Amino acid sequence: MRRYGRVFREFFRACLVEELEYRSEFFGNFIASFFGLGIALLTIHIFFYQTDRLGGWTYGEVLVLLGVFNALRGFIDFALRPNMPRLLEHVRRGTLDYILTKPVDSMFYVSFRHLVFWRLIDVALGLGVIGYGLYVERYVPSAADVLMFFVVMTASLLLIYSLWMMLMTTSFWVVRIDDLSFIFDSFFDTARFPGSMYRGAVRFVITYVLPAVLITNTPALALLGKWSMAAVLAALAVAMLFLWASRRFWRFALRFYTGAGG
Amino acid sequence: MIRKYIALLRMKYIEMLAYRLATFVWMTGAITQPLITMFVWMNIHPEESGSFLFYFMAVIFVERMTSAWDVWELDREIREGTFSNLLLRPLHPIHWAIAENIVYKWLFAVILAPVWLVGAVFWPALRPHMTAGQAVLFLAAVVLGAALRFLLSYSCGLLAFWVTKVAAVYGVIDVISLFLSGRIAPLEMLPPVLREWSEWLPFRYMISFPIEIATGVAGGEEMVRGFAIAAGWMAVFVVALQWLWKAGMRKNQAVGG
Repeated sequence: MRRYGRVFREFFRACLVEELEYRSEFFGNFIASFFGLGIALLTIHIFFYQTDRLGGWTYGEVLVLLGVFNALRGFIDFALRPNMPRLLEHVRRGTLDYILTKPVDSMFYVSFRHLVFWRLIDVALGLGVIGYGLYVERYVPSAADVLMFFVVMTASLLLIYSLWMMLMTTSFWVVRIDDLSFIFDSFFDTARFPGSMYRGAVRFVITYVLPAVLITNTPALALLGKWSMAAVLAALAVAMLFLWASRRFWRFALRFYTGAGG
Repeated sequence: MIRKYIALLRMKYIEMLAYRLATFVWMTGAITQPLITMFVWMNIHPEESGSFLFYFMAVIFVERMTSAWDVWELDREIREGTFSNLLLRPLHPIHWAIAENIVYKWLFAVILAPVWLVGAVFWPALRPHMTAGQAVLFLAAVVLGAALRFLLSYSCGLLAFWVTKVAAVYGVIDVISLFLSGRIAPLEMLPPVLREWSEWLPFRYMISFPIEIATGVAGGEEMVRGFAIAAGWMAVFVVALQWLWKAGMRKNQAVGG
């Protein structure tokens, strides 16, 4: 575990050095993040122009949810997204051989080798929106709320990582598509809003099969003081289950990888 | 010219078949956002679920029929210098783009129309109530919308002769259009200020306007005015495109390719 911490720090340093080469990009990226969030806020504003509840959630509560969503998406763009096209490339060209022969876990390596730092702006902005949402809602979270928030947020991060990893692993079979991440985006976009808003089969799928709703809604509810021990434990259990499944899937896929001799 | 176009269309058709999977992914790609928005609106006004279902299904359909990707193609081709290959050919490069658009959109229509028919069997809300005249006007508005979006996208793409971040510029335009073209909400749901803007800017005529004709929201005088404004934008875009093209040709100094 200590060793992985050290390796991760090394990835971090290497990517930071790389990114500092392109400092002039920073400003543009900063503007882009702000713009994206502004659009999301405007969208919600337009919805609430017609109503004062969305799936039973008030304006302030939906803002907290949006903040959680934005922060989690910032994390995806920071650590996970940059690695997807590279794995596809490795599988296609057979250069995955080099990674498999390295003395670190291959799943760890392919998912965290490349980091894009400026995406952390989205995490910060997301936290800002959470704060604003709480202010609109006039709710001050208790210490227990905040603790539960961090617990379920960890569970959400594990869930996202597992789902993303499973999608990424399919690249051993479908090497023709350049970028699979849009599949994840389509699914994750549903988590932007309260799960109680959806109906019928869609609601069932995104709550129980692919728990998009769980990922964003539980942390938002925890921070708003609407958590229950059962929900928190369920979130942790589901996260563990998915992590285990993604691990198994990666191992299974590796058996299909024959390499191309470099 | 017609013979040239037939050859172009055939070429683009074969090209499309070579990338079947990518084409399929392309087609399904833009579906989730309107669907999620539909659920939001159904939740806000449950009593109008039927009309929201029709509206957002129509948004998916019209959006696919008018979608434009030329800005990314041009951006890449101009930046990497491969645009020179197109310039050397005896026909204006825009004809290749037009042929490509026709082929892909024809395919979208051929696939989406039967899907709609099957859907209409199960959901009565999807059955359109259009007179023959309305249907013709609807199709005319779709073609006009496709032309507008194509011209805007192509003109933006030509900016790549001067700037390197054309995709970002177009991204901003696309976001503005998200609100004003009716993808986030049927335009009558927007606050009055935005509604007024949407009427005078070109975006409404790219997606919302044909649907408004189909549902009967825009009829009579309103519709005539809509067509007039759209035609005005069309003229503006054509002039802008020609000017950008001439200026761009003077500027172009691509090497290799």
